[in-house]
Amino acid sequence: MINRTLYTFITEQKHHAWRRPSVPSRAAEYADAGMTPAQRMSARFCEMAAEEAKNPHILPGQKIVLMRTLPNGPDVLTPGEWEEIRKDHFIHESGYISNICPDHISLVKTGFKAARENADPLSAACLDAMSALCASYREEALRTGRVDVAEVLAKVPEYPAETFREALQFFRIVHYGLWLEGDYHNTVGRFDVYMMPWLRHDLDAGILTMTEAEELLEDFFLSFNIDSDMYTGIQQGDNGQSMMLGGRLPDGTNVWNELTEMCLKTSGELKLIDPKINLRVSKDTPLSVYEKGTELTKVGLGFPQYSNDDVVIPALVKLGYDPEDAANYTVAACWEFIIPKVGMEIANIGALSYPLCVDRAVRALEDSADLQDLKIAVAREIRTEAAAIMDKVHDVWFVPSPFLNLLYGGRNIADGAKYNNFGIHGTGISCGADSLAALEKYVFTEKRWTLSQVVAAMDNNFEGEDEMCAALRYEAPKCGRDDLADRYLVYLTEAFSCALAGRKNDRGGIWRAGTGSAMFYLWHAAALPASPDGRRKDEPFAANYSVSIFAKIENPVSVIRSLTKPDLAKVCNGGPLTLEFHDKIFAGEDAITKVASLVQYFIRSGGHQLQLNAVNRDRLLDAQANPEKYRQLIVRIWGWSAYFCELDKEFQDHVIRRQEDVI
Amino acid sequence: MTTGIVFDIKGFALHDGPGIRTTVFLKGCPLRCLWCHNPEGLSPFPQLSVKQTACRHCGKCTVPCSHPDCQPFGRCLHICPSGCISVAGTAYTAEALAEKLYADRDVFAMSGGGVTFSGGEPLLQADFVCAVSGLLHREEIHTAMETCGYASPNVFRRTAEQMDFVIMDIKLADPVLHKQYTGADNGVILENFRWLASCGKPYEIRTPLIPGITDTEENLAAIRNIIGDSKWEKLPYNTLAGAKYGNFGMEYTLEK
Repeated sequence: MINRTLYTFITEQKHHAWRRPSVPSRAAEYADAGMTPAQRMSARFCEMAAEEAKNPHILPGQKIVLMRTLPNGPDVLTPGEWEEIRKDHFIHESGYISNICPDHISLVKTGFKAARENADPLSAACLDAMSALCASYREEALRTGRVDVAEVLAKVPEYPAETFREALQFFRIVHYGLWLEGDYHNTVGRFDVYMMPWLRHDLDAGILTMTEAEELLEDFFLSFNIDSDMYTGIQQGDNGQSMMLGGRLPDGTNVWNELTEMCLKTSGELKLIDPKINLRVSKDTPLSVYEKGTELTKVGLGFPQYSNDDVVIPALVKLGYDPEDAANYTVAACWEFIIPKVGMEIANIGALSYPLCVDRAVRALEDSADLQDLKIAVAREIRTEAAAIMDKVHDVWFVPSPFLNLLYGGRNIADGAKYNNFGIHGTGISCGADSLAALEKYVFTEKRWTLSQVVAAMDNNFEGEDEMCAALRYEAPKCGRDDLADRYLVYLTEAFSCALAGRKNDRGGIWRAGTGSAMFYLWHAAALPASPDGRRKDEPFAANYSVSIFAKIENPVSVIRSLTKPDLAKVCNGGPLTLEFHDKIFAGEDAITKVASLVQYFIRSGGHQLQLNAVNRDRLLDAQANPEKYRQLIVRIWGWSAYFCELDKEFQDHVIRRQEDVI
Repeated sequence: MTTGIVFDIKGFALHDGPGIRTTVFLKGCPLRCLWCHNPEGLSPFPQLSVKQTACRHCGKCTVPCSHPDCQPFGRCLHICPSGCISVAGTAYTAEALAEKLYADRDVFAMSGGGVTFSGGEPLLQADFVCAVSGLLHREEIHTAMETCGYASPNVFRRTAEQMDFVIMDIKLADPVLHKQYTGADNGVILENFRWLASCGKPYEIRTPLIPGITDTEENLAAIRNIIGDSKWEKLPYNTLAGAKYGNFGMEYTLEK
């Protein structure tokens, strides 16, 4: 049973009343005092934790406590200092560590007291500050008669968690600490693997019933949503609180336990965007697992997202990961495959635009060129563009994170870890492949138009070339339904993979090619004129690994068959095929089983990653007009789910546009 | 060589029989149900479709062109900037259609699905449907048809025997009302139903619930009386039923 009082309290954002302005910016003071970036991070952490300790709040019936009242802290470096640093270093995103999966559990198992003994002074200061913050919550619990909360906080975080509740509370404290420090989008990892020992302990000892465990888990899941509006990425919802469930273990067995089931159930009951559920599956996964996942899809959360162990694990091994590490993979904030605990990977350091490479290739050729010349030119442009992206990245520098370091055994994670690989997204693949297929058909086979005629029409945004535009846009072969276009999917992914093969980054890692797009499907498209697939200027590409939006392919079976033709192990940085369904497909008694079979078909066909959306365009339009009626309406953007009404109109419109040809 | 006219092929059909199916919509129907939501299925001949919701009335399609395939329609099919012009009704040989349907065989096998012939009315093209079904059976693909049952008993039986599963509509029990709302008597439909119920073939009866017409207590009770304990699915009225009429220059006459 959901604690409705707590649920309503949080979803109605009553706790926002306690929010206050953040601590003042001290970057200049820090600079004057000659403090190192690590010292500043530790100082800011301690100051914020001390402020939070003055303002503890335990919500009605809340069992897993800790809540932010301060927004994110101000930058620890001055703009001038950043300018200096940027002269010598590549700065990824904001410069703070993001998108990795730290070892939360290492602290849960040792406790702060023991961790403090081996910690360096800056990290130890963070532990002290967190301890004081937790102590203030304990006092608040005693003051308000919440003996249960006080009891848990008497044990954790100082001592190792022994019970499931203590472990959940401890996990919350650690997760809270990461956000407080200013690290962002760092993910939860294989939650059912990590936390099952405590649940098992309690069940075996007879001190917890399954119902009580579910209530605790609900409370814990709610805790991901208390402060999440502060953790804005590109838009609210883009916050990286991703959780992985199921999948193979290094010993070859598969995880599927009481906690796995409980997480799926809880997520479906709460219907909130966090944590974002990922499911690891393989060819041996029974249909019943997909059915449970599909029940969640039906709720309309945009997850679970599925990853295929049969493709991903061997792909990672081939890229040089140790087999036991590969078996433990999880996802970064959106979908990039990363290794928990031992990776400091930057899985989204750049993005290659396939349509840009096709555009350059087409413009470089004379009308006398043949199809082979075009293909060679495209491969060359991909190589050149990939090299340009990689060459830009050198001497990557991150602001050190003394608290986060504790989850890596004390090493300075900003300097790297066992794995230091970089990933590059591949944007607009269907636009690129459809463009090549259209050129093959109309320019090289039928000779209906010359290359220069097509380029001239593109530069004119197809003005006065309606017949050419209609042919390229609607009548030409398209990925997802025509083998001719699918062959270029294979060609482009191979070319991208080859362009990165053998290259090392200056942290000793490799480069990984991917099928994601993140926001680049908008940015890269905006930077390009019209393309030979009939896409007009200013129209976006399809997001991630998807067929073109105006190809009007209604059959997802056909889409899956096409998009699993490439060897996806070669472009395994991550990036899902996204399928969108009108929510009416879930009508009917066995619809869940049938949709589940489709997911199974994708996995058995060698797909790497899949994400399904159940949407209803009429509801989205109504929500745009009457946001007050739809505060809880959830949609999926690219790697994250978000509250529709919290999105900027540009994003709302794109989501609606995507639905126009949905079955 | 048997050929047929098909107005649509939809993959991933979840509501037309067991498993994941591909549904083939055959053009032409002997009934004229006022609530029909597939108006392009009525006429047996190819028809021009102009998607009204996307048409920006730029008039480009009305400029005469020289494409041979556009001539019968008096519009250019290859120029629309929004891709709203198409022709409903494509001729297939049985072999070509079967070949196209084979594509999704893996997912049929995995989900216990197959191919469903719908329409329009598949029995108007019974020879073609039987030929395609035969080719699909050769590849061990499950077949079904979705029929209004209005066909000579001979044609009905011959085709139903070719199928692994039959979905049959019984819309109205009363012959007078049936004639009034569908344009035809239901005597032969009920006769075909009685044969279907006794032949041992798995089947399902469907009734579209049209407010005030088929969803009345009397009608539903009478249908229950006719079909006994047959599997019976009542389909809610499709409120978008009239949406496609404008695309084909047709009028939706059912009062809401």
